[in-house]
Amino acid sequence: MATQSRNARAEARRREQEEQRRAEVRRQRLLFGGIGVAVLALAILIAVISVGETDDSLSLSDVAGDPDISGETLVPMPEGAEDPAVGEPAPAVEGEDFDGTSVTVGDAGTPQLLTFVASWCPACDAELPEVVSWLEEGGLPNDVDFTMVVTNHDDSRTNWPPQDWLADAGYTGTALVDDLDSGVFQAYGLRSTPSWVVVGEDGEILHRSSGVLDPSQYDQLAELARTG
Amino acid sequence: MIAIAERTFGLLALVAIVIGVGTAILLIRGRVPDWLRDDVALPLATAIAAVATGGSLLLSEVAGYVPCTLCWYQRIAMYPLVVIVGVAAVRRDRAVWRTVLPITAIGSVISVWHILIERNPQWAGPCEADAPCSLKWVEEFGFLTLPTMALIAFIAVSVLTLAAHRR
Repeated sequence: MATQSRNARAEARRREQEEQRRAEVRRQRLLFGGIGVAVLALAILIAVISVGETDDSLSLSDVAGDPDISGETLVPMPEGAEDPAVGEPAPAVEGEDFDGTSVTVGDAGTPQLLTFVASWCPACDAELPEVVSWLEEGGLPNDVDFTMVVTNHDDSRTNWPPQDWLADAGYTGTALVDDLDSGVFQAYGLRSTPSWVVVGEDGEILHRSSGVLDPSQYDQLAELARTG
Repeated sequence: MIAIAERTFGLLALVAIVIGVGTAILLIRGRVPDWLRDDVALPLATAIAAVATGGSLLLSEVAGYVPCTLCWYQRIAMYPLVVIVGVAAVRRDRAVWRTVLPITAIGSVISVWHILIERNPQWAGPCEADAPCSLKWVEEFGFLTLPTMALIAFIAVSVLTLAAHRR
């Protein structure tokens, strides 16, 4: 009888301890869950306060141009093979700079060096300062026109709007603003940015390439434009 | 709205850095407290993997940020961790680190490569219009890009699953 009573008391004590342990686990889970929710709420609050107003004043349609493109579209640039577009007439484009100044590329008369860039493109962003330095140091021959064709517009990506991106990098030269469908980029048969195109005095394509160039290659391309 | 979400993920990544570094110090010193080892480490690792998974889906499906190839490889490593560590947290499976570490190691290597490409875009070649891996969709506090946040999550999950194992 006494043994049964002892066993019952021990069982009751064990159950009580078990219940206490479960209650402790529940308390801990509530505590850590609460801490987690509090951290998340605090992060959202700080984010709301710190982000503030964003400048969405310029939309895609505000920035994109409406260039007039004439002539045959060039075949897409092949990778690692001889470019069949060399010797073909360049598409002639009449468009505008960001400030509305008229800009023409691809027509016969003056050798031209064109570089196609997108403001969000990290490779373009890496190359832009090199191009600006080359131009500032007088690398471009006087008898060669240089135009930066700004294409593949995307206002959801970095460095928007593109005119601010160019201005921040110190580029003050001529820019041709492509349309919403990247029509100039397509007409020149390009696949990626940055891309370089050399147009000779007679309006024929002398060279197309894509990717970041070594600055020494700018001189070579400019010389190619001059001499054909 | 998306800017607020990006900033929130950036702040949570900072919290994950603190958690990861703090837990790593406790691990190295052999002083992982019982409450962390028994009750917190695995649920916290699950939460980190879940936030990383939810964040990547939010940014691609709602914000429209197109994942690049390397982003997809990191997703392949991150998404299963929610289930693997989550089930381990419920079952109190202290040995889950054996499954988790190979996955997080692969994910971390890809994240590091992606971060290097972001820092050196010329390595990735020219940018095609859809989803170049060198493009930084997000950059909070000057260094927290998406692969950087993924790397932090991989490391934090690794350290926490090791802490759950430690006796």
